[in-house]
Amino acid sequence: MRRIVDYIRRKLSIRVSLWVVLFATLIFIAALSFLFLRARDAVREEAVSRATQILDKTSLQVEGILNRVEVASAMTEWLVKRHPGNPDSMFVYSRGLLENNPDFYNCSIAFEPYYFKNWGRYFSAYSKHAGDGIRTIQGGSDNYQYFYMDWYLMAKLLDRPCWTEPYMDLDVPTNTSEMVSSYCKPVKDDDGNLIGVINTSLSLSWLSQTISAVKPYPNSYSIMIGRGGTYFVHPDPAKITRQTIFTQTIEHPDTALVALGHAMQRGEEGMKQMELEGKDCYVFYKPLGQTGCSMAIVCPESDIFGGFDYLRRAIIMIVIVGLLLMLFFFIRIITRELNPLRRLANEAETIASGKLDAELPDFQRIDEIGQLSHSFSNMQQSLVKYIDELKDTTAQKASIERDLHIASEIQMGMLPKVFPTGGDRDDVQIYASLTPAKDVGGDLFDFHFRDGKLFFCIGDVSGKGIPASLFMAVTRSVFRTVSAREEMPDRIMESLNKTMAEMNETNMFVTLFIGVLDLATGHMRYCNAGHDAPLLVGAGVGTLPCDSNIPVGFMPDWKYSLQEAQIYTGTTIFLFTDGLTEAEDVGHNLFNMQRVTDVATEALASQDQEPRQLIARMTEAVHRFVGDADQSDDLTMMAVQFINNTK
Amino acid sequence: MSVRTILRASAVAVLGLWAITAAAQDDAFVFTPQWTAQAQFAGYYVAETLGFYKDAGVNVRIEHPSVTQPAMSRLRKNDCQATTLQLCQALEIIDEGIPLVNILQTSMNNGMVIVSARGKDPLTQKGAKVGIWSVGFGQLAICMSIKDNLDYEWIRFAQNMNLFIAGALDATLAMSYNEYFQLAQAGMDVNDNNVYRFCDHGYNVQEDGVYMTRKYYAKHSDQARRFAEASRRGWEWAAEHPEEALDIVMQYVDREHIATNRVMQRLMLGEILRLQVDRESGQREFRLRPDMVELASSMMVENMMLDREITYKELVP
Repeated sequence: MRRIVDYIRRKLSIRVSLWVVLFATLIFIAALSFLFLRARDAVREEAVSRATQILDKTSLQVEGILNRVEVASAMTEWLVKRHPGNPDSMFVYSRGLLENNPDFYNCSIAFEPYYFKNWGRYFSAYSKHAGDGIRTIQGGSDNYQYFYMDWYLMAKLLDRPCWTEPYMDLDVPTNTSEMVSSYCKPVKDDDGNLIGVINTSLSLSWLSQTISAVKPYPNSYSIMIGRGGTYFVHPDPAKITRQTIFTQTIEHPDTALVALGHAMQRGEEGMKQMELEGKDCYVFYKPLGQTGCSMAIVCPESDIFGGFDYLRRAIIMIVIVGLLLMLFFFIRIITRELNPLRRLANEAETIASGKLDAELPDFQRIDEIGQLSHSFSNMQQSLVKYIDELKDTTAQKASIERDLHIASEIQMGMLPKVFPTGGDRDDVQIYASLTPAKDVGGDLFDFHFRDGKLFFCIGDVSGKGIPASLFMAVTRSVFRTVSAREEMPDRIMESLNKTMAEMNETNMFVTLFIGVLDLATGHMRYCNAGHDAPLLVGAGVGTLPCDSNIPVGFMPDWKYSLQEAQIYTGTTIFLFTDGLTEAEDVGHNLFNMQRVTDVATEALASQDQEPRQLIARMTEAVHRFVGDADQSDDLTMMAVQFINNTK
Repeated sequence: MSVRTILRASAVAVLGLWAITAAAQDDAFVFTPQWTAQAQFAGYYVAETLGFYKDAGVNVRIEHPSVTQPAMSRLRKNDCQATTLQLCQALEIIDEGIPLVNILQTSMNNGMVIVSARGKDPLTQKGAKVGIWSVGFGQLAICMSIKDNLDYEWIRFAQNMNLFIAGALDATLAMSYNEYFQLAQAGMDVNDNNVYRFCDHGYNVQEDGVYMTRKYYAKHSDQARRFAEASRRGWEWAAEHPEEALDIVMQYVDREHIATNRVMQRLMLGEILRLQVDRESGQREFRLRPDMVELASSMMVENMMLDREITYKELVP
């Protein structure tokens, strides 16, 4: 599955096709669902209409013959009541009824026990078709006590004409049985007392055939039940007269079937949708006249909706096949349309691999792919041009870097490289370090000895890089030149300031500290032009007091103040640029003056104030503080330790 | 027509000539149940089908009654040697002067009920039209109607429950193993509210037993005993294997073309087997209980259905 998903993710043609087919499917589902729903309703309405018509037609047929029975019985009653005392006439009336209605099964004109004294307990004028003729006999006997029979008792007890539940009538002479239903009409004398019952029976075979023949659909069938729910018509002969519509519900409760049975028993007309013998069915039911019977047409849903379901399946199949074909052709078409893109992608790979002159295909198209191809071609040409320019620029940059490297070496070469140590001199030790932020920096320091004095300076040119380095070189040269003939630091500063300010077209400046230390006495004259005040690390750690003078390079006529201080033996003058106090860690926190003082104090406590050790400590401390942060400014430190050897 | 006259008439009609008991025309022992083939007689069908009668050395042939030849008519014509009767029927026949012997009593409880139309209590329907079988069976109901001053108007019917279902009757007598289930099968709601069970109201009198004339018994007591033993064996087997017994019942039902079904017969067999268990002992005792004979006899004498008390000793071999 994951491989399939990965494959689809790699194939734009499949993804686009799937989306299109998905949307098409949704539209089809919505449209077809609506269509099927409405069509199904229409088919159901048609089925209801069809079944209702058939039921009405069958009911009319049945009622037609039932009415004939009822009319014939009424006429016979009229005759009986005209001659109630003549038993022989009853045989004639009974026979006459059958002669006039050959489709009737039999007729009895039965009287209450001992109504005709001469005939004893039983008198029933019974006529029945026998062969081509009609057999008429007296039907009552000890073996057939008619007045206990349903047909007699029902008319008597209900006191009105009625139809009996269908029953098997046994014809004793021929020992044959026939399923019949009897219309029973009570006969009363002038005083309203019951004298007998006229029973006219109808064979149900005709009715059964008529109802069984009702078959609106290939697998539909009809049933007929009596008042007690007994099946009298059913496609399963084993159920006829043996089971009622409720029988199976006794062991397997089925509320729908029970509801249908009760509705039919109540003589209702209607339709129910239910499951019968595992099939969803529509049952249409209607009572059969006044017989107490009810017929129903059971139509399986599969029959009613058979044509509809076939059509629906066919349409669904066509749609599915269509969607699959759509998917197939979409993938093919989109793949073909995207083919130029694939070629472009391959060419891009070639170009990306370095073959910039690879020839792009010309698709001769004006659509988006043509535009893309054209743009790609332009991009390739621009790329070639850009790469050429980049080559030139890179070469130029390499040249500049080389020059810078040389400049850096030259700059570093200007600075003193040899520092006097205890072995070289016994009156002073000096050490300094300069770490530029870029190849070349704007910091400077210098020192030289003349006439038993140490001339030294430290400075910081505004800005960085080449301009600062050039300004620094000029500053250092002028310092060397001026300090070679001048002893006073303020004059050196003023002279240097005048020179620098007059040639300062770029408005750069430099903070500078110049000191002249008498190595014999430790007396130091100094002048500070805006530079950080040096620390004195001796008996303690303190800052050398410095006046506020402007940096060098602004005003050529500025008078710088001279200051003096006595440096005691062993004291180290620690000079530095703001690259030390403003060194930043990754959180842009500054190293600041306090940390510088702390490190100097620690060094003093450890008797490590000797210049090289002090600067090493300071360097290690600032590196530890800065960590992985980039160096933001040039960092320069110089330490001068005076040792009075005259004592 | 008085109650006594009705019952007398039916008894005489049924057994008028029964006293003339003759020997069987052949060596077959013909047994006729009092109704058409149904699970009410399952034990006898089992005994015949599984050869219990043959094992007992009795050549039994079961022949059902027909419309033209009711069970009693067959007896009086010597067409059968034994038949089933309810205890009350047997008492009436003995009272008419035809000595009978109970060779096997199967029922230990009364299964008769009165079913009223929906929502009506039978005990509140004074003077109601109540259906009763035209061939008898209703003695206890008549006693109850008199005793409780219900004055039911008894409507004798020949066949089934159609009159009641059609609404022509207010209530009807029914057997708890037969018509009761027929009414349920007709979609009627039968429940404790509209059903009166005689066995629960002091009328628990045994019903079905196998009877033969004392005269025949005097000559064939051993045959009668072996028939009774084999029949009892058949009932016990049916109680242990009700579904297999039902299969056998349905064979007889189909052979006789009876309009019933397996569901009804299963319900009937279950109820018949339940009625065979004595309430007090919880056993199938297969015996007449003297107290029930005395109860039935005294009630029937009191209501003038019998001229004299019939004792337990007059019934047993």
